[in-house]
Amino acid sequence: MRSAEGRGRTLDEAVDAALIELGESRRNVDVKVLSEGSEETVVEVTVIEAESAAAAAPADGKGEMARTLVEGLLKHMGIRAQVTTRQGSEPTTLDISGRDLGALIGWRGETLRALQSVTNVMVGRHLGEGERIIVDVERYRQRREHTVREIALRAARQVKMTGDAITLDAMQPFERRAIHLALEGDPEVTSSSIGEEPERRVVVGLRKPAAG
Amino acid sequence: MTARTAAERIRKAIALVNAVEDGAGDEEITPTEIAEAIRDCLELSDVDRVTNVRRYLGEALDAVSDGMPADFVAMTLYAALGALQEGSPGT
Repeated sequence: MRSAEGRGRTLDEAVDAALIELGESRRNVDVKVLSEGSEETVVEVTVIEAESAAAAAPADGKGEMARTLVEGLLKHMGIRAQVTTRQGSEPTTLDISGRDLGALIGWRGETLRALQSVTNVMVGRHLGEGERIIVDVERYRQRREHTVREIALRAARQVKMTGDAITLDAMQPFERRAIHLALEGDPEVTSSSIGEEPERRVVVGLRKPAAG
Repeated sequence: MTARTAAERIRKAIALVNAVEDGAGDEEITPTEIAEAIRDCLELSDVDRVTNVRRYLGEALDAVSDGMPADFVAMTLYAALGALQEGSPGT
């Protein structure tokens, strides 16, 4: 399995550096953040082997069933795209890749979200309670999670410098969740959400010292 | 009130359902709140101007009452939103 380390000022720059070294596009790789700092971000980018991904799919009956269903849906929609089951992901994740799939993502991921809902309704009776299928297009969800994580870390740095709380833009639940997870281990800052859906926002502020 | 207002209210209901499914970890949303958001949509006269929008919203409300999975509720709300957008150019 080919992999490369990438360094840059931002996550995107680091990933791009590794992709150039590997000669690959974002849709064919897995990204692991090794370190993230104010000056430099280091990532490890690993190429996903198409053959091993295809070989892993039949082992997961539900994933394979969902994959076939989504493939059929896309065909009916007149979209030419490849659907694969992401290896080792929990919950089961389907990756859709192809050209010009922006329309499949839609405004703030709305169309992608709708596709995921339809997929889960179609395979729902084969899934256990609380079990879900995640649908991703061109790793949009993963990229958004990385982006909001970077936003969270940047906001945390600023809060520590100025002492003032920062209110971020309105975000989707999975994005807010990524921010809370990114900051939960930081002893100096805390994150909370305010407002009502769909305008709910995360506020990053200084953690108050424990009383006593 | 415009079809845009109706679309915004449907999006709010969808966002509430999605928040339950995604487990944002920063809120507790009850079925009552989702049902209220759908009823807010049904109060608008615009939902009667486009075929099927009221029907889909009614089905979504029934699904919440019946304890159907969040994805099923979301799919029905997306159907209402889609019908509204198809029937109201420019929204």
